[in-house]
Amino acid sequence: MRPPLLKAVRDSVRYGYAVGRVRALETRVFRDAVYERLVDAPTFSEQRRILSDTAYGQHLEGVETADGVERALEAALGEVYALVEDLGLPQPIVRFFRIRHDFANLRARLKAEALGASVEADLDALGTVPPEVVAGPVEALPDHLRRAAEEARAAIAALEERAERTGGKVPSRERLDAIDRVVERAEHAELAEAARASRSDFLREYVALSIDLANVKRVLRARRRGVALAEVEPALLEGGRIPRAALAEAYALPLEELAERLASHRALRGVAAEDLLALDRLDVATDALAVRMMRAGRAVPLGAEPVVAYVLAREAEVRQLRVLLIGKLAGLGPDDLRKRLRKVYVGRG
Amino acid sequence: MKDVILGMTGTDWALLGAGIAAILGGIGSAVGITIASSTASGILSEDGSKFGKLLPLAAMPGTQGIYGFIAAVLVVIFFDVLGGKIDLPAAIGFKIFLACLPVAFLCLVSAIYQGMTGAAAAGIVAADQPAPALIFPALVETYAVLSLIVTILMLLGLQSAAQAL
Repeated sequence: MRPPLLKAVRDSVRYGYAVGRVRALETRVFRDAVYERLVDAPTFSEQRRILSDTAYGQHLEGVETADGVERALEAALGEVYALVEDLGLPQPIVRFFRIRHDFANLRARLKAEALGASVEADLDALGTVPPEVVAGPVEALPDHLRRAAEEARAAIAALEERAERTGGKVPSRERLDAIDRVVERAEHAELAEAARASRSDFLREYVALSIDLANVKRVLRARRRGVALAEVEPALLEGGRIPRAALAEAYALPLEELAERLASHRALRGVAAEDLLALDRLDVATDALAVRMMRAGRAVPLGAEPVVAYVLAREAEVRQLRVLLIGKLAGLGPDDLRKRLRKVYVGRG
Repeated sequence: MKDVILGMTGTDWALLGAGIAAILGGIGSAVGITIASSTASGILSEDGSKFGKLLPLAAMPGTQGIYGFIAAVLVVIFFDVLGGKIDLPAAIGFKIFLACLPVAFLCLVSAIYQGMTGAAAAGIVAADQPAPALIFPALVETYAVLSLIVTILMLLGLQSAAQAL
């Protein structure tokens, strides 16, 4: 085992420059006040004006449509990922952020296939695999995507076979759910692998927390709808801090007790059982956990954590902007927009 | 019989102590400065106006190398190595070697930690916070200074002992 001082020196030298750049850049991550101004802006043009001096300004120039906003935000996020590559971080960390776009593209492609729709225009170029490759033949996909695509196709084939035996038809919803389940599992497995390869405890913890949050939401929602455990259990993801067996065991409890049991787990420390029970507070409560983790990462003086926290903060910023800009284009008022905002900023509020 | 300890004469031990003080202090400073400078460079590549505030943070771990150098020079001067005196008793030479160890090891470790503290404090500068960023790395400096004082006091005592022989 490496002595702590040597490890600290290695990390300091490896991440020092990256952390320095991020320290300067994170002062430009949007505070709540900017979101408030965007919410209260009377028109999309005014929002664009507010953003003109920011990293998004040049990309939003001349944009008038929701599709244009998507492309502009994609370009801005692409710059963030390019920065991560420039910083010379270990390859698994660089890859970690882009893998999720690969799976988002794959999900879109498989769903379009299931619905008989065209997909090319909906794929983004932020993944490790070019959109045209994701949209092409499954056999030509890289291993991590090919396996997921084949598994999803097999899951749909199994559904069709079962429906055929009963003389029915597979509803679109079921096909799409099957795709979501398979792709989500493959995505988390790949993210866990990238986090392991990065040797960053922080990334590993982040993936574990994401898995826990996804599982907890799935369990609570399914329990509320009265779905049988046999249907929920296969969809639970491996790799979280709350074991799948513990979730399955708690599933038999009444909803209130289930929420109590989940909230008492160390992985969800700080979340109240009432928040898990309230549909409108569940997402906010689980987001708050992720934000808390990002704050902890930002407070680490030297290491991969501040860089990861910065990129995740920028991703959250892009998600907020998407809601605000496209919402304004769609004619939503300030109150509606405010309701859709989440507390995502990981820095000072 | 030749006056040696572990096969080394008194002057050998004294020079080994002086060398270790200079070498370890220098290594600590080089690593500490590298750490603090990497972060400072990252900040400067985004905001060049902060150079003045970042330079002291990056330079501060350099003092340990100077302390090690001072200890080495004092050994050379106090025991007249410069004057060509190469016949120190082994017992005195060995004690000089021991007297050099505080500054050698404390400067090695404190310079590295000071570099890390300086890199963290650079975040204060990057965030334009009004708090004085120099204070925290300066606290680490205290112990390097104390180690130098201890080494100097011991060397002074040994110089008196050597002169009394």
